[in-house]
Amino acid sequence: MKKGLQTWLDERFGLSGITDFMTKKTVPLHKHTVWYYTGSAILLFFAIQVVTGFMLILYYKPTLEMANASVARIMTEIPLGWIIRSVHSWASSFMIAFVFVHLLSIWIAKSYRRPRELTWMSGVLLLFISLFFGFTGYLLPWDDLSFSATKVGTDIPRAIPVVGAWVTKLLRGGEDVTGDTLTRFFGIHVCMLPVFLFILLAVHIYLVQKQGMSLPLEAEDNQEKVKEIPFWPNFVFREMIVWLLLIGILFSVAIFFPPSLEKAADVMAPAPEGIKPEWYFLFLFQTLKIFPAHVLFVSGETLAVLLMLFAVVMFFFLPFFDNKPTGTKGKVITLLAYVFILYALIMSVWSLL
Amino acid sequence: MKLKHSLFTRRQFLNGLIGGWVGAFLASLVYPVVKFIFPPYKEPDEVILPLSDFQDMPPNSVKNFAWGSKLGLVKKNDDGTHFAFVGVCTHLDCNVAYMDDQRKFFCACHDGWYDENGINIGGPPPTPLRRLTLVITEEEMIVKKESPEETS
Ligand code: FES
Repeated sequence: MKKGLQTWLDERFGLSGITDFMTKKTVPLHKHTVWYYTGSAILLFFAIQVVTGFMLILYYKPTLEMANASVARIMTEIPLGWIIRSVHSWASSFMIAFVFVHLLSIWIAKSYRRPRELTWMSGVLLLFISLFFGFTGYLLPWDDLSFSATKVGTDIPRAIPVVGAWVTKLLRGGEDVTGDTLTRFFGIHVCMLPVFLFILLAVHIYLVQKQGMSLPLEAEDNQEKVKEIPFWPNFVFREMIVWLLLIGILFSVAIFFPPSLEKAADVMAPAPEGIKPEWYFLFLFQTLKIFPAHVLFVSGETLAVLLMLFAVVMFFFLPFFDNKPTGTKGKVITLLAYVFILYALIMSVWSLL
Repeated sequence: MKLKHSLFTRRQFLNGLIGGWVGAFLASLVYPVVKFIFPPYKEPDEVILPLSDFQDMPPNSVKNFAWGSKLGLVKKNDDGTHFAFVGVCTHLDCNVAYMDDQRKFFCACHDGWYDENGINIGGPPPTPLRRLTLVITEEEMIVKKESPEETS
């Protein structure tokens, strides 16, 4: 019976190509293999986001009047609502943390080297989409903190010469953060970003399959045979162990540390003390804070934002700069990854003091 | 095929023509999209407030009003005069608060400070708070969008 269905489907879809590929796919085993697991961990958290997102949307109402109250209702009235929201909020943090780790490990191992430049670039775009997911989702509970953080966040592009004011307006849906912004962020969060993410994810995963797993530099030079295990079922089973562990950790923190909900944002109230963006924006937040109002002829803000944009562009095209992995330039670029980690850590901790 | 005195071939000409049409067609599709995603906004020319709301303000205090979709602040000075500000930080747009004990405006977002006249004196804000002109009549307080220097 099962065979029959399989042939039936295969005749129509031609699936055997894919299943053949999967059974032949192997994963190299070496001392850096652990980083291979970060990719599927991201997928796991993303799947959790999709499912919990589908659930939250059953009760959430994206309007000025209802947003905060509907989240409060999810937290207090809907059976297990608080866990669902907590998991959604925590899984977003976990997902972004793993995206960072994934990218940094690739940067340090230089896995983006030829011919994997496009895999890296699609990955960087996926990072931005993830961050934008986080940024838009943060506003949705519409409380004091998220309102002020969004005011600041959407005002930052204004410092970009020429197009800046336009970008701010585009994000906010007007001059100020209002009910229009909330509705707009909601639409971006649940409708636009998922579409873009799925397209890029498909490209990203296709490229990874097409080119196979990247080997560490040393292993590639040594020319000696690296040990390999079959992807299915050996590697997948190992991944499942990791998933179970991660799900355990995620649910534990979600249950013990649910996110809070402040009172509904008042558009006319002064910004509350201690406004902070999500942790993954803290280092940028602190960078903005320490820039003086004026540096030479430009405003400090413009300079800071332009520097950040420059860094982002360099990051996106990194594989093309890092084209001689074993030379001095390659070493410096690896070092930069550590400098970045250190910088982000110091700035984030500082912002919390 | 290229005619003797022509600058381009017939193929190039037709490709250019079709390309131009397609481009113009796409532009005509993009235009309404761009128009649609920016809602219209106009800053109010003036806002009229009942004077009675502001009569019992003690000196050295502020009171909110709505300046369009932004926070507006009316401040009563020690000499009994009033100032009106847009209560939005010039750094990154947070609403500011008036600290009457310190006689300063404070922005909690990145620790920005302004003195009691709205002049930026500390932290990241690059310019003073925006002043609005305030005209007080028998029963009304009229806030106008020009700054006091412009009107006087
Ligand atoms: S927004 Fe006021 S100091 Fe940054």
